[in-house]
Amino acid sequence: MASSSTKAAAAAAQSSLTTPPPEERPSSPPKNKDNSDFDILATYTHLLSTTPTLTMPLAAIASLIKLLTHSPPSTTSETLSLLSTHSAALKRALRNPIACTAGTDLFQRYIISTLQSPVSLQTRSTGDFTTTRDGLVASGEQFVARAQEARGVIATIGGKLVQDGSTVLTAGDSRVVSAVLDAAADKGVKFRVVYVRDSGTPSSSSDASGVGGDGMVARLRGKGVAVAVIGPSATAYSLGKVTMVMVGAEGVVENGGIVSRLGTYQLAMLAKSARKPVYVVAESHKFVRLYPLGQYDLPIQQTVLDFRDRTDDADEGNVPGGTGEEKRSGGGEGDEEAVDYTPPELITALVTETGVHIPSAVSEELIKIWY
Amino acid sequence: MPPPAGTLTPGLASFLSSLKSSPIETSVESLVSLLRRRQIRGSRSCAIATAHLLRMVLRNIPVRDVTKLIDRVQQIGQRLAEAQPKELAIGNILRRILGLIRDEAEEDRDREAGGYGETGIGSRNATSITSPDRQPGPTEKRSLLAPNTSTTAPAITSLFSPVPLKSASPTSTPGTHTPGGGSPIAAPLSSTPNTAQDLRAEVVEGVQEIIDELNQADDQIAGYAIDHIHSSEVVLTYRPSMTVQRFILKAAAKRKFTVIHAGPFPNDHWPRRLAGNPNTSLDDDEGNPERFQKSLTVAGVTVVMIPFSAVFALMSRTSKVILDPHIVLADGSLVAPAGARAMAQAASMHQTPVIVLSGVYKLSPVYPSDVKTLIETGNPSSVVGYDQGSLLEKIDIKNPLFDHVPADIVDLYITNLGGHAPSYLYRIIADHYRNEDIHLMRSDLE
Repeated sequence: MASSSTKAAAAAAQSSLTTPPPEERPSSPPKNKDNSDFDILATYTHLLSTTPTLTMPLAAIASLIKLLTHSPPSTTSETLSLLSTHSAALKRALRNPIACTAGTDLFQRYIISTLQSPVSLQTRSTGDFTTTRDGLVASGEQFVARAQEARGVIATIGGKLVQDGSTVLTAGDSRVVSAVLDAAADKGVKFRVVYVRDSGTPSSSSDASGVGGDGMVARLRGKGVAVAVIGPSATAYSLGKVTMVMVGAEGVVENGGIVSRLGTYQLAMLAKSARKPVYVVAESHKFVRLYPLGQYDLPIQQTVLDFRDRTDDADEGNVPGGTGEEKRSGGGEGDEEAVDYTPPELITALVTETGVHIPSAVSEELIKIWY
Repeated sequence: MPPPAGTLTPGLASFLSSLKSSPIETSVESLVSLLRRRQIRGSRSCAIATAHLLRMVLRNIPVRDVTKLIDRVQQIGQRLAEAQPKELAIGNILRRILGLIRDEAEEDRDREAGGYGETGIGSRNATSITSPDRQPGPTEKRSLLAPNTSTTAPAITSLFSPVPLKSASPTSTPGTHTPGGGSPIAAPLSSTPNTAQDLRAEVVEGVQEIIDELNQADDQIAGYAIDHIHSSEVVLTYRPSMTVQRFILKAAAKRKFTVIHAGPFPNDHWPRRLAGNPNTSLDDDEGNPERFQKSLTVAGVTVVMIPFSAVFALMSRTSKVILDPHIVLADGSLVAPAGARAMAQAASMHQTPVIVLSGVYKLSPVYPSDVKTLIETGNPSSVVGYDQGSLLEKIDIKNPLFDHVPADIVDLYITNLGGHAPSYLYRIIADHYRNEDIHLMRSDLE
């Protein structure tokens, strides 16, 4: 990693952390029992919308760091309880808290182990808590900056999977996939891309690169990579021409499965039946301690299946055929898209910044991160 | 064991015997050219040659500085690996030796650090959420089971590695100075900057252990034979190496069973016929088929030779398929002599268990991003001879010597550590190689 890019990323994170959050959603539900003047949800959404490169777990961590600077705790236990109440509030406020949970849990875990470290104990015995707190904040910010570099590392590792003459099928406009494909294209690999576009409304994804993958498609085409854009119904038809499927993820769960945009599961199923490898590219801070047993076992609220009969239709006016379409209730938060769970059997390997892992190695990585 | 003692022909035996008498640089050169000329081939032979050479290097290089030692070993190792990029075993041995050096260096550093590392869970947290091309740091932990997990105190997770709290950090940049210490049990704080000699002694000892492991792997694997081959079973083998032969013989000492031996056309005899050199079979330690059959018959095993084309037909009667890999990759797939995939596929069609016998030295941390680069292509004239001149002008002939067998059609791996599911191999790999060494051979797969 070049040091200049490190500094740039650090500066970006820094600036994103220092800009004050606009009080744009005063009516949002977070219930802050203490320090009621800090709106964690507003900070979180603001960070996500202003810094397009920021992933959800990192935005959550950055919000918690801001919390520490905003309402400085003076003791260890105060710090911990502050963090846990606000993490809980943030998770409650989001319809899909999986990605953000990965961040808040990781950060709380980190705070605890930092406070327990001998150096910290030493500092605390000599100095006052302010020093320790400042240390936590500073290293947390550094963590955010460094975690953002992970994407570049993944691009290098993942770029190797893309070989001359191959065709990569992707969907969902993942930023990491985009980085991987860019890296491969920059390296001069001759490959083609099939992009599966969402059939529904243009997605309002949180990145500024374009709507629903247009940015990625245009950029790749600009680099001389031939891109075919297809609808989801053409996926099975196209798979015969495809060498591999590469998707991003919102969260990677303990058994090596992923939680990702709606449609990833069926894409992986199709790829499996066509015997094409499915690679998931995701930063390891997206690893989350969750063990879903199936599609409906995720701690999120989403109404993908909306069964209706005559009476429902009469009540609501018209809206025929609501099935299969996401019912948007949250009202336009970038992360509030329907997700599904792709079980590990359908995944060939996960590409993270620590290397290429088979799904069964995910629990190991989680243990390494956590303990 | 080492191949034929005909020391006149250049090969592993001649290399090993000349190792002591020649200077390091000459030995490196000679091994590089032996590898290039394929006079040393097969994972085992390559591993043995690499380990012996690097042991010599470690013994003889006057180095005070651990970083320089690592650099030197890495440099030589890379030359060997580049000489024969398809022999991943060279890289495996190199990685393990580098890991040894790093472990010893860390142990010394920890002792110097005055025992910070022993306290707090934080110290056990070294994680690998760092870029793989990061400088080898003390924070990268090999595994939770590794005996020495204590690293420096502020290395909570290297995700964070808190700078402001680092004031008391005992390790600055790794390797700026890393003097060796005494033996690992020696009293802490006793190390002085000029005891790199001790560190080297420890490492050489470790390399010796690796060499012992290479020599014992077959016997250790054979030790599990009784658990897997039962009375009156029908075992199918293909291109059995000494490993498979010992495995079967061990079981034969107690049980009566049948071995079906599929004939490996077209690569069964060509190297010998071609070069007139008994050393250049596909794998140095590949058993001679006739000798294999004879030794088994003597041991009371019924041996049936079949042509490869009959494998599918006989699969329904087979209770087990035993394969021997050339190399095993990080995702649990393997590279084995051509035909192995067809055999494994046939076995999985019939729900017949496929067992792979592999020493740990064959486990490579390399993820097969491009399988094609791992497959060696052999002499096409053994498929279609030059006597078919008119045909040769019209067609392309390829004779791949190896197959890539995906992990999902393998049921069990037996290594010298025991039996493992293919999905568990990553764990063993993580135990044996350090993260910073995995991407050592970047050029391998590019």
